[in-house]
Order: sequence, then structure tokens, then C-alpha cells
Amino acid sequence: MSLTPLGYLLLSVLLFLAGAGLSIVSARCERLAINLSSLLGVLGGAAGLAAALPVLLTGQGAAMAFDGPFAFARFTVRLDMLAALMVGVISLLALLTSLYAQSYVREYAGRGAWAMGLFMNTFIAAMLALVVVDNAFWFLVFFEAMSLASYFLVIFDQDEESVGAGLLYFLIAHAGSVLIMIAFFILYSHSGSLDFASFRGLKLSPAVASLVFVLAFLGFGAKAGMVPLHSWLPRAHPAAPSHGSAMMSGVMVKIGVFGIVKVGIDLLGAQAAWWGLLVLAVGAVSAVLGVLYALAEQDIKRLLAYSTVENVGIILMGVGAGMIGLATGHVALAALALMAAFYHLFNHALFKGLMFLGAGAILFRAHTRDMALLGGLARRMPQTALAFLVGAMAICALPPFNGFVSEWYSYQALFAMGHDGDFMMRLAGPAAMVMLALTGALAALCFVKAWGMTFSGQPQSAHAEHAEEAPFAMVLAMLLLAVLCALSGIGAPWLAPLFARVATSLTGGAAVPVAQGLTLHSGLFNTPASVSTPMLALLLVAAPIVPLLFMAVVRGGGVPRRHAGDAWACGYVTEKTMTVSPQGFAQPVRFMFAALYRLRDTLSPAAGFRRGLGATVAGAARVEPLWDERLIAPIVAGVQRIARRIAVLQRGDFRVYCLYVVVALVTLLLIAVR
Amino acid sequence: MPNLTMIVLAVAQGVILLLLAPLMTGVSRMIRARMHSRRGPGVLQDYRDLAKLFKRQDVAPAVSGGVFRAAPYVILGTMFLLAMALPAFTRTSPLPFLADLITFAYLFALVRFFFSLSGIDSGSAFGGLGAGRELTLGILVEPTMILSLLVVALIEGTTNLGAIGAGIGGNYLQAPAAIGLAMLAFAFTVFIEMGKLPFDMAEAEQELQEGPLTEYSGPSLALMKLGLGLKKVVMAQFLLGVFLPFGVAASLAPASLALAAVALPLKLLAVFTLAGLIENSMARGRFLLTSRVTWVGFGLAALSFVFYLTGL
Repeated sequence: MSLTPLGYLLLSVLLFLAGAGLSIVSARCERLAINLSSLLGVLGGAAGLAAALPVLLTGQGAAMAFDGPFAFARFTVRLDMLAALMVGVISLLALLTSLYAQSYVREYAGRGAWAMGLFMNTFIAAMLALVVVDNAFWFLVFFEAMSLASYFLVIFDQDEESVGAGLLYFLIAHAGSVLIMIAFFILYSHSGSLDFASFRGLKLSPAVASLVFVLAFLGFGAKAGMVPLHSWLPRAHPAAPSHGSAMMSGVMVKIGVFGIVKVGIDLLGAQAAWWGLLVLAVGAVSAVLGVLYALAEQDIKRLLAYSTVENVGIILMGVGAGMIGLATGHVALAALALMAAFYHLFNHALFKGLMFLGAGAILFRAHTRDMALLGGLARRMPQTALAFLVGAMAICALPPFNGFVSEWYSYQALFAMGHDGDFMMRLAGPAAMVMLALTGALAALCFVKAWGMTFSGQPQSAHAEHAEEAPFAMVLAMLLLAVLCALSGIGAPWLAPLFARVATSLTGGAAVPVAQGLTLHSGLFNTPASVSTPMLALLLVAAPIVPLLFMAVVRGGGVPRRHAGDAWACGYVTEKTMTVSPQGFAQPVRFMFAALYRLRDTLSPAAGFRRGLGATVAGAARVEPLWDERLIAPIVAGVQRIARRIAVLQRGDFRVYCLYVVVALVTLLLIAVR
Repeated sequence: MPNLTMIVLAVAQGVILLLLAPLMTGVSRMIRARMHSRRGPGVLQDYRDLAKLFKRQDVAPAVSGGVFRAAPYVILGTMFLLAMALPAFTRTSPLPFLADLITFAYLFALVRFFFSLSGIDSGSAFGGLGAGRELTLGILVEPTMILSLLVVALIEGTTNLGAIGAGIGGNYLQAPAAIGLAMLAFAFTVFIEMGKLPFDMAEAEQELQEGPLTEYSGPSLALMKLGLGLKKVVMAQFLLGVFLPFGVAASLAPASLALAAVALPLKLLAVFTLAGLIENSMARGRFLLTSRVTWVGFGLAALSFVFYLTGL
């Protein structure tokens, strides 16, 4: 069977929809519903990959248009390089999370596991459709479908926390889509058609173009979770079931980035340099604050969610540098920066997906997300621990994993910007690099903490003590992702040109030489730099072997190693509470960056939202007793006033009472005589 | 790809730096002892310590895990890699595909990652606290380090360390103020990374840099000590190779290489002596207030960046 890329894409969407539909049909038999939805998810993911790969490899897109049910909006589909990249990322992660779900969702048996298959598959299908449609109306329809399906994933647990998180998510997502709608309607009012193709040819005045861009940037930025519109993210992502969190953090936030690229570069052509500068600045702030807040978290899924804010920031830094490059005519710089952004987008989907799946495995076995109650899991869940370690190293950009490669390119793009640009770029590039370096150092603390508190030391609760390795399907999905993290790092010389082609499809101009043989290049002749990831990986594997051999030779048949007894505790008996806590570990940073932590509470719209809610409640509390105040209270007060007047008569003196009796008698006598 | 001569040079350079490491830490100890009016154990004491430790049994707590066990090898191996890739005997790096500013920063991060994770994985509370502090120090140092190197990288137009060193060594006058301040700022971070007062006291095990060592013993401890010693030497050579490439071989002629081989230990000795003198005239600072001091370093780096922008 051979289909065109669009044929495979249609097949993939249909498979996901079938997965959703069959989940409902087989709701009675949950086991069947779980298996069917995950099987169809795996197949759908494979079909999606089959759609994306030919386009990415050959560079030849495909487009098609139908007359939809609405006269005003044709159903236009366009699978270009950027869309193919997104389809590839979505499908790859969807494939692996569907595999994972086959075991994981059993935890939800009896609590509507079938509904999870329904929402998960609809969610994925909506995202796939969203990235390829080429019409503003349908784009918004699928955008809403995606938001809605993920909203149901967030509130799946139905407890107070998830419903609250869902409400916040719902509000912010829709505030975002309203902004996007306005942006599209402005474009529509100038072009007279809702097709993106008509938007591309528009000649807008700078003011209108800037207005459209800022609206779209804020709207999509809310979806991407950039600071300061991020506050829904650390609440909503952890509330969803873990494979849903993986899809939301790994892929859905990228839809926001995709939207920014689509509107800012594809539709509007990055006209003004300050757009890029805005994106770069927001990205840099998101990166630093995201990871700073992540490392203060004690809930492992919240920690991961905040780190998504960080990584979206890093991606946006690349996008911003690319937009600056385009606006100022540095096409090679733009291509390099966008390539770094796309590479990181892909990488983040892999390692964040992996880590959320890992957190899910921990939740599945130890039944808590609180790191203070975990510990010692490496002994009981060795494969999960290994996969999570790979994810942690990749996210900290440690060589030879994939995070290192994309951050290296990001640094090189920013460096080139600082070297070649005008004064503003020479100032912004190095500043962004310093922020990136700070982010890297903070990420190291964050993920040493995440891994160490979860997998090292002594178990801090009974659940953690009795945890066992996750089921096969879950372990397989995690290990596959870990292998992909390693391969996309070591194999960077082969992968990087692919991302460079996606970038050049947007920027135009000649292809940027980002790799040569086994070596990665910055692709810019003014500032040549290179690193060879395969050699680096080889040396990193070989280097520890040297001391190992040395030990074998020197020690030979020495006394064998002994693992026994407690850790040293100043001569006291070690107890399991004698360990560094998640809060204690990050305490120096919290102390040193206290001002930035205070900022979180003052900046967050969630705080405003809460204040608004508080004001509403207080208002309601004031309105409700209004009846009392206006109607009942006056009557009561009147009665009391009269009573007080009457009470004057009651003097407590028997002579006065005698007087009353006399007065009463006299009055009665007078009446009788009359 | 590198040719055979360069590979031999790289390995030789790594081995020499590794062998010099205990000597340099021994010198630091002697300087401290003399400034405390003690006699001290002699500069060769660290070699004797290592030889002794290699003979001992390796004992670890029952709760310690795989990372604890692997960390000494990973740390020593990665530091050795960095020692091979630095420009030391020659102007440029023998392994140019590794000697990139960004790659170096993240290889150091790899060492830090495993070092602190080993502290937590030992199951000791002291190790865990040391780990947190080590990483915190990294957060304070990293921006200064990147910015100061970035200034010289921008001046030379490349992030390759060998090329930066070669460009700077040839001509300081291209931007004297910027280069001078960047060197000062970088020297400041090197000083911190070497585990010196007022930030740290590398010899005290309850302190930061060796906090994660609490539970190591025997050969593992020896490897860790060797790795940390090598880290100090590599940091010192990093400063020398990038900012002060004097006395290095301009070509691969035996005579100039021999000269470089003599100059290298002397230059390292000078750095360690200077660092020791500064360290021992300081008082220990409170850890939580470290960030107030490191702002000075970052200020220096930022100032040098401003000088670069204005072209001084």
C-alpha cells in the first residue's frame, strides 16, 4: 500500500478518530476500550510519521483544497516543511504515549478509562489537523477542539485541584483564542478571504501588521505558556493523566510556538526587528523564571511543568533571533536560529515526554507526586530510573544527549547575532546567551534534585518502599524515548541538516551548512565554530573506561567492594528522615533569588484571577444580606426603638408603678364618667 | 578529523596535567600550612595519600546507588577529556572539535551534575547538602564565566578556545580594557571553581566542594580526589590557555615543545601560588551571602562587555 503524504495524514487522523470512537462504543468493556484506543493510537502515530517523513526528506510539500460545508471557508490543507515537522513530532510522541497508555490507563479502570481514550485520541487528531489546515476558520475550529479535548483531560480526576486548574486553563486558553481570532479577522478584513494563502500576499501598513503580530503573539503565547501568561500551565499539566501531561507539555505548547512562527514569519514575514526582540526577551525571561520556579517545586509533575515554561523560553529565544535576522536581512543567521529553535522543539518533545512518562510510572507505582515522600526508587524501578536519568541529562543540555546539540546551535545563533548585527543586536545576543547559561546552571540543580530526591537515598514512605518496576509497555515507551534522546544527540550531524531545511523553507535563501562529515558547524562563515557529537560521545564513553582499566590493573585482586551499613551521621544512628529534603536542597537558591520568587506572585494572572474571584465572592456575600439590611433590619430597628421608648416607663421603682396604677384608675374613671 | 600527532599530543597533555594535579594541590596545602605558621606535610603528600587510598577497601553505605558508584569514573574521565582538549602546550587545541566554549561549559556542567548527584545518591545528609551548595555555586559562577569568555570570543569572532587564545596572545592592544577586565572576571570564576576561601574550603569534608565526598572511601575516593585535583589544574590552565598563552609552542618542533613543557608547570605553579596567597588572606564567608560577592565578578564581566561594545 502506498499513499501520498496527505493520504497517510488522512489515514492517521482517521485512525485517531476511530480510536476515539471505538473507545465510546466499547465503554462497557473497559479492558477492550483501553487496548483498542492505544492500538489505534500507535497505528495513527505510525501513519502520521509516514506522512511527515517523505516531506521532510524530499522537501516537497503537498496541498489540497475542498469546498467545505461553509461557503466562506474552503477546507484548505497544506503540508509544508514546518507542518510536516509538527506532524512528525506529534505523531512520534503520540505513538509512544499510546503504547504507554496501554498499561497506564488501567489505573483508571472503573473511573471512566474509556473517556480517556476518547479525549486523548480526539486531542491528538485535532492537533494533527490544526497544523496542516491553511484556512483561518478551520484553524480556529481545530484550535478550539484541541483546547476542549485537553480541558477534559485536565479535569479528569474530578477533584478540587484538577477542576480549579481546568477552570483556569479554560479561561486563559479562551482569552488566547479570542486574541487570535481578532488577529485573523483583521487580516481577513484586509484580504477578503480566510485562506492563509491570501494573508501571505497582503501588504499591510506597519502599524496594522504590528497589531496583528502582537495579538497573535499574546494569544499563541498563552497556549505556549510563556511568562507572564504561564500560570495555568504548572497547574493544568500536572492535573492531567501522565501520558496526557506528556502530550500537553511535549507537543501542545509547541502549537503555541508553531502559531507564533506561522503568523510572525510565514504570514507576516517578520517585518520589524522589534517583534523578534520582543520574542527573544520574553523567551529569555521565560527560560530563567521557568526553571527558577521549577526548582522550588516539591511536586514532581509541577516541577516538570514549570520546566516546560523554561524550554518554551529557549525555543522562543531561537524564534526571536530568527525573526530579528529576517527583519534585518541576515538570512543565514535567521536560518541558523530557527533551525536551533526547531531542533529544540523536537528535542523537548522527546525528553519532556520521557520525563512525564517517568513521573507517570512513579505515580503508578508509588501513588504520590510529592518528592518528599519518594526516594530510593532506583533500587526498585531501575529501568525507569535509567530512562529518567537520560531525560534529566538531556534536559540539562549535557553532552552527548540531544538537548546539548540544540542549545549549542542556539548559543551559536545568538553569538552570531552578537557578532554581526547592529548595536541593538550586539547588546541583545550576548545578554540572551548569559540568560541561557544561567538557565543551564539552574536546570542542573533542578534536575539533580528531581532525580536525586526521587530515586536516591532511603524511601520516605511506605508506598515508595513497596514500589516495583513499571509494566512492560510503560518501560518500553520510556526506554525508546531515552534511546531517541541519545540518538538525536549523537546523530546530530545527520539530523541537523533536516532541521536546517525546515528553517530555510521559511527564511528563503541558500541552505545553511550546519554539518559536515561528523562535525556540526555554526554554518556562518564569519564566526566559525564546530563540535563533533559522535566523537564527543565516543570519547565520553571511552574516558571513564580508562580509570576503570587502571583500577583493574593497580588493584588486581584487592579486597572486594563492600556495600553495607548506614551513611555517616556524626555518630548517631541514621534514620530515614536524616536526609536533605526537596525544599532544603533548593533553599540557598530560594534565598538568593528571593526577589524573583516574589515576582511570581505579583506577576501571575492567576493571582489576579484569584483576587477577582475573591472580590466576587465578597460581593456576593455583600449582596446576599442586602435584603436583611434594607428590609428586615429597619423593621427590627424600628421595633427596638419603639420598645426602648416604651421601656422608659419601666422604672423599677414601686412608687412609680403605684403612680401608674393611680393614673390608670383616674383615666378609666374619667372615661366611665363621661 | 585529527591526525595522529595531535592525538598523541592530546593524550600526553592530558596525562601530564593529571600527573601534575596532586603536586599542585600539595603546593596549595603547603602554602596554607606556612601561612598558618605550621610546617605542613610536604608538597608530595597528595601522591602518598592517593597511593594509600588505592590500596584500601572500597566501602559504601547500603543505600548508595549506581550513580554514586559510577560518578568517580565519569568525573575523572570527563576532566581528562577537558585536559586533552585545552590549548596547553600549543597555541591551538589538539582536539579542535571539542575545544569549543559552549562544549566546555557543558562538559563542566556534566562533571558538576554527576558530582552533586553522587552526593545525594550516597544517602548521606551531608552529601546531599554539599550537593545543593555545589550546584548553587555553579549557578552563581556560570553567568560570569560565560560572559567573560564571550567578550573575548566576540573580539576574536569565534567560540573556539584555541583560536581565541591564539588571537588574544598575539595582540592585547586590540581591546585592552575589555580583555583585561574579562581576564579579571574569568580569573575570579576560576578562583571560585578551584574551591577557595571565602567561598569554600576544599580540604574540609563538610564543606561544599568535597561535601559529596563524605561517603567515598578507598579507590573511589582516590579517583574522586584525582578528578577534583585535575579540575583545579584544568581551570587554571583554562585561564592560562585562553588569556595568557605565553611560552607555548608556536609549531610542533621538538625544541619549542620542550620549552612549552618546562613553561607549563611553572605557569601553573604561579597560578596556584597566587590563588593560595589570596585564599589564605581571606576569612570564610557565610554561604547564603555568597551571591553578594559573586555580583562583583559579574559586574567585572559586564563592565568588560560594555568596554567591548564601545570598542575600548
